[in-house]
Amino acid sequence: MIILSIDTSADETSCAITEGRKVLSNVIFSQIMLHAKWGGIFPTVAKRAHEERIDQVVEECLKKAKLTMKQIDFIAVTQGPGLAIALEIGIKKAKELSLKYNKKIISVNHLEGHIYSSFVQNKKGNPPRHFTFPFLSLVLSGGHTEIVLLKDHVTYEVLGETLDDASGEALDKAAKMLGLGYPGGPVIERLAKEVNNKEFYPFPRPMLKSGNLLFSFSGLKTSLFYFLKKLKEKDKALLIRQIASSYQEAVFDTIIKKTESAIRSTKISNLAVGGGVIANMHLRFLFRKLIDKYKGSVIFPSQKYLTGDNAAMIGVVAYYKAKKNMFVTNIENFGRIPRFHLTKST
Amino acid sequence: MKIITQSPTAISEAVKILKAGGLVIAPSDTVYGVLVDAQNNKAVEKLIAFKNRPIGKPISVFVENRRMMVENVRISSLQQALLDQLLPGPFTVILDSKHRVHPLLESEKGTLGIRLIDYPFIHQLIKVFGKPLSATSANLSGRPPHYSVESLLREFSQAKKSMIDLVIDAGVLPRNKPSTIIDLTSSKLKILRHGNINLKDLKTYISNTPLETEAIAQLIVKKSLVLSKKKPLIYILEGEMGVGKTIFVKGVGRLFDINDIISPTFVISYEYVINSKEINKLVHCDFFNIEEPEEFKHLGLEQYLVPGNILFIEWGEKGGDLYEMLKNKAHLIHIKMKYGKNKEREIIL
Repeated sequence: MIILSIDTSADETSCAITEGRKVLSNVIFSQIMLHAKWGGIFPTVAKRAHEERIDQVVEECLKKAKLTMKQIDFIAVTQGPGLAIALEIGIKKAKELSLKYNKKIISVNHLEGHIYSSFVQNKKGNPPRHFTFPFLSLVLSGGHTEIVLLKDHVTYEVLGETLDDASGEALDKAAKMLGLGYPGGPVIERLAKEVNNKEFYPFPRPMLKSGNLLFSFSGLKTSLFYFLKKLKEKDKALLIRQIASSYQEAVFDTIIKKTESAIRSTKISNLAVGGGVIANMHLRFLFRKLIDKYKGSVIFPSQKYLTGDNAAMIGVVAYYKAKKNMFVTNIENFGRIPRFHLTKST
Repeated sequence: MKIITQSPTAISEAVKILKAGGLVIAPSDTVYGVLVDAQNNKAVEKLIAFKNRPIGKPISVFVENRRMMVENVRISSLQQALLDQLLPGPFTVILDSKHRVHPLLESEKGTLGIRLIDYPFIHQLIKVFGKPLSATSANLSGRPPHYSVESLLREFSQAKKSMIDLVIDAGVLPRNKPSTIIDLTSSKLKILRHGNINLKDLKTYISNTPLETEAIAQLIVKKSLVLSKKKPLIYILEGEMGVGKTIFVKGVGRLFDINDIISPTFVISYEYVINSKEINKLVHCDFFNIEEPEEFKHLGLEQYLVPGNILFIEWGEKGGDLYEMLKNKAHLIHIKMKYGKNKEREIIL
């Protein structure tokens, strides 16, 4: 089964061709260069860029896989969550291809993609990794922070999510407050590593006593605000590594502790973690340490591009949906859902 | 004592009791209260005995509308202007009484606390009854207020219970504080009791918790919502990192049963479809990641600029010239949020 998938949920225009879990080709027109200047994505610019690049990205993807549209079985597309005007471009393209080549469409929730991203394989079928249900999945990215339980393919129980800021956003905003660039995660990772990821200042671990698996990072942001306000500019520059490391530790420790609560309450210690934040090697180390304690397992996306937004992960989800005959029935009415919930996508 | 559940038929039953000078315990938008006919001497005396209220300590009244308010208190044109800004809201205002209610409800200075209530049950009750009702919490003097019938009955002795004629049970109320009491009789507005929504002056709200920020947001938006019929509303939220801008929008979302509002920083804007008569879409934007004014030319907010839509723009101070452009197409409402001296926040209209 060969699937062509499209993801335009935020700032990446991406197309992939997958066969089962194997990626035959994946093209991402990264707008990261554009954003480096602006420090973030920007609706109309992102939309225009999606619009300008989508045809080219799809074409390039087919070429790389050495396939034609006729050889494609189904088309998959991200329906949400994301920026409305960006999602629209991907959906429009999917509909156009569906109509022209008479292919069925599979709707995928962007979060499903991140959940499945650890199971995406290269052309040769590596890494082999098998699904062992039930398992817990964490999505940790610039826009999302969720803990999800999977008992079977494409069925989700959201155990916890953020009430305000995403974990990646918490790091990005801290980077901005510290006068570092965008995206902030990698810069903070590097600075923290230079001081061995130690904690020098105790920032709060929000919501740890809430008794549930919900996250909230806005209070942590406020505490950094107050902390920096008290510091002299000169000290801020001198202590930047120590501050970055302490703050990162507060974010990561919160994630790890919440995950531990999820493991305890579900008695499930098999984890799959996706999203841009898990590109951080120190966080991977913390997850492995946690899992050792519970004799479980943890997997991460096998390649860096799979931690970010990409269409390959969308294609892999779509494969399991196609096997369950989950196709879009009314293509005409098929439209974007900017705040698409995981539980509503099956 | 009879206990019935809150329902439209409970109104006629309560009216019957009130007319006979009886004492009714009923839910409100804040806490459970004791209602009696404010113009019936025996009823008011019974209320004061019930509450163990020291003589001389005034008790506020609920009124149905502005007309009933004017019938009971003197309002100067200046006070009128203040009231226009304040009401409706969880506020009890103190004004000079026209002495139509029992004197024991008034202060020694002859002022009366008066509350225009929009809580549907009590509002309808006064409408049918046609007279002001006492507005005091259903607890003994000096004791904390109650949020459930169960808890208030636990406090009252058998003798007290025998004084209650009717209890309207609406289950457990949300834990809103009693109303904020504002004295409008002197030239400078004075806050006598702090409730859920606190003011520094008419344009500055004070929030001590995220929940209070949500309540303030709901009050501000509810008041301006009517404007959205003709033009879309744009709330421009300014304020530093972590001051509570997303919390503000979360509060507004709850007005429309949207409970999943999160920060839109990463995607720049999230759109929420609202199933209400007045409002079509709530659009939650965040300009945090925008740095050059040049970018606003391409913002594409135009698609949302239709009547019935409400937009919130976090980091709105970055909008600059954009608002000149939007001014004619939408109602712009500027809201500034500031860190206060302690942990409180100021929300300035």
